[in-house]
Amino acid sequence: MTTSTAAATRTTAPLGRLLGAELRWVLRRPRTLVVLGLLGLVPLAIAIGIATTGGPSAGRGPGLVAQVAGNGFVLPVVALGLSLALLLPLAVASAGADAIAGEAATGTLRGLLLAPVGRLRLVVMKSAGVVTVAVLAVLVVAVVGMVAGTVVVGGAQGTLVTLSGTTLGVGEALGRIGLVAVWTVGQLLAVGAVALAISTLTEHPLVVLACVLGGLIVFGVLSAIPSLDWLQPVLLTTGFSAGTDVLRDPMPLDGLGSSTVRALVYVVLGLAVTAWRMRRRDA
Amino acid sequence: MGKGKRWGLGLAGIVAAGAVAVGVAVAPSAAAAPPLPPVSPEALVASVITAQPGPLNGTVTVDNELGLPALPNAPQLGNGTQTARVWSGGDGKGRVALPSSDGERTLVSDGTTRWTYDSTDRTATKAPAHRDGAGQPGHPGGTDPQTDPAGAATQLIADLRRTSTVSVDGTADVAGRSAYQLVLTPLPTERTLLREVRVAVDAEKRIPLQLTVLATGQPQPALTIGFSDLTFGPQDPSLFTFTPPPGTTVKDAPAPGQRPGPPVGAQAPKTVGDGWDRVVIAQKPATPPNQNRDEGDAPDLSRLGTPVSGPWGQGRLITTAVATAIVTNDGRIAAGAVPEQVLSEALGQ
Repeated sequence: MTTSTAAATRTTAPLGRLLGAELRWVLRRPRTLVVLGLLGLVPLAIAIGIATTGGPSAGRGPGLVAQVAGNGFVLPVVALGLSLALLLPLAVASAGADAIAGEAATGTLRGLLLAPVGRLRLVVMKSAGVVTVAVLAVLVVAVVGMVAGTVVVGGAQGTLVTLSGTTLGVGEALGRIGLVAVWTVGQLLAVGAVALAISTLTEHPLVVLACVLGGLIVFGVLSAIPSLDWLQPVLLTTGFSAGTDVLRDPMPLDGLGSSTVRALVYVVLGLAVTAWRMRRRDA
Repeated sequence: MGKGKRWGLGLAGIVAAGAVAVGVAVAPSAAAAPPLPPVSPEALVASVITAQPGPLNGTVTVDNELGLPALPNAPQLGNGTQTARVWSGGDGKGRVALPSSDGERTLVSDGTTRWTYDSTDRTATKAPAHRDGAGQPGHPGGTDPQTDPAGAATQLIADLRRTSTVSVDGTADVAGRSAYQLVLTPLPTERTLLREVRVAVDAEKRIPLQLTVLATGQPQPALTIGFSDLTFGPQDPSLFTFTPPPGTTVKDAPAPGQRPGPPVGAQAPKTVGDGWDRVVIAQKPATPPNQNRDEGDAPDLSRLGTPVSGPWGQGRLITTAVATAIVTNDGRIAAGAVPEQVLSEALGQ
């Protein structure tokens, strides 16, 4: 549609303005800002812990966190991996819970449903809010991790030492960190889509949080049961450990690829349920 | 509500389709047996001995259903699937990566030096490489396989035929490549737990692609080791060099002569029987086998298994899908791919 005819015959609000309003709405919530701020503490806490207890000769003992010692570029990857277990899904799920169930609980959803906005546009708008929170949350962890890793921990002569014992230059290290950040956003979008879908089914935001986090915990339990191996390809959490693969050299892409495909399937399913529910929802 | 029910069915369909899509995207596809010209076992083994596969890379998957008891210090030997990524330069150079959830072990050989790097404790171990292939100290038998592969193959097959049926049984598709299946079946006189051993040999490059061990009374293979992904072609030469990264402890491996083999003071293991029902009897070392290595390499066997007794004394019986072992109270270990009774007889000799 061209602008002139649209202005003359407009019956719906422009998407840009709607998105702006939604993002302002999401980002002005104190809880969103508090969660984002707290997420920044995760890499900071690891960095301070490593710097005060470990020193340069640390790196003994198992665990990925030990890899951070004297190897600052690993910090954002490790921090993203640790937060992906529960904290990042919590941030995204609370955004998804507020998006629809929260508005229903405060009674503002009625206004949105009555407004001259198509229901699908409403879904797009609400999804954009969740995507923004996911991207911001990952950015906060990655950037604070980068800074803390460089300043507090310090790099191994400005390089990243991979798990395979090779060293990567700054450019490639940043590329790897960028890749794991994008991949993490992909996994979070799957969580967000499911949260939105549940959000359309209830009027209580807490139910959404409980379902998403409880679901992640149940998935974790299911994947730990050997006789349920056949479930593994379906569980979202199966692929959560693939982020570690960016620390290997040469980088194996099959784990990152299959977990992204799995996340996409979750995104499609979640959005389908959300769109269906919102289209049929009475004001 | 009819519409809702229909939508519910649709949702179930989407979920099922999604699950199938994820399954297809993640799981390797199995293909039908490809047609290949017939070959005799002798010719197949001879071609394997002379094979020059050249540079390659791939993923080796170990599917372990051996039913080993869960050892406290060696959980990786338990049932499950392990993968390793391998690169070979085709000229004695190679790289193996053994990924785990929180680290990786890397083995790099540049033809003269073999490096082992463990990311969990950031140590690199350096050892001189053996030019004649790691893990193959020499082929038993009269003929030298390098100079007379046909003779060596014929002799090997003849040796095997005394206790087994050797045949090339059809073809298979392994890691997307056509392969011959060399099948070893124990003769009926052999008292063994094994039913069949299959080696899939690449039809073109003539390298073993997969080893499958089947035990009696089990439809599923007890052990499958093989490529799940294999590509032939030139490899990046930088893969076969290793420079210890900053912050790494570099150690020299013990001299090759003293590392493998029984520790000083222990008797050499003796074997009883021949072929499939061979039993190895060893003396359990009184001290840990090798103090240079981590404790994880010497699992504690004393609490495993069930108590047994026989004319040879008392001990503990450890059974797995393909092998049985008896650890006697006087420190002997008898093991073999045989039932308990055969072990008992061997210990009594």
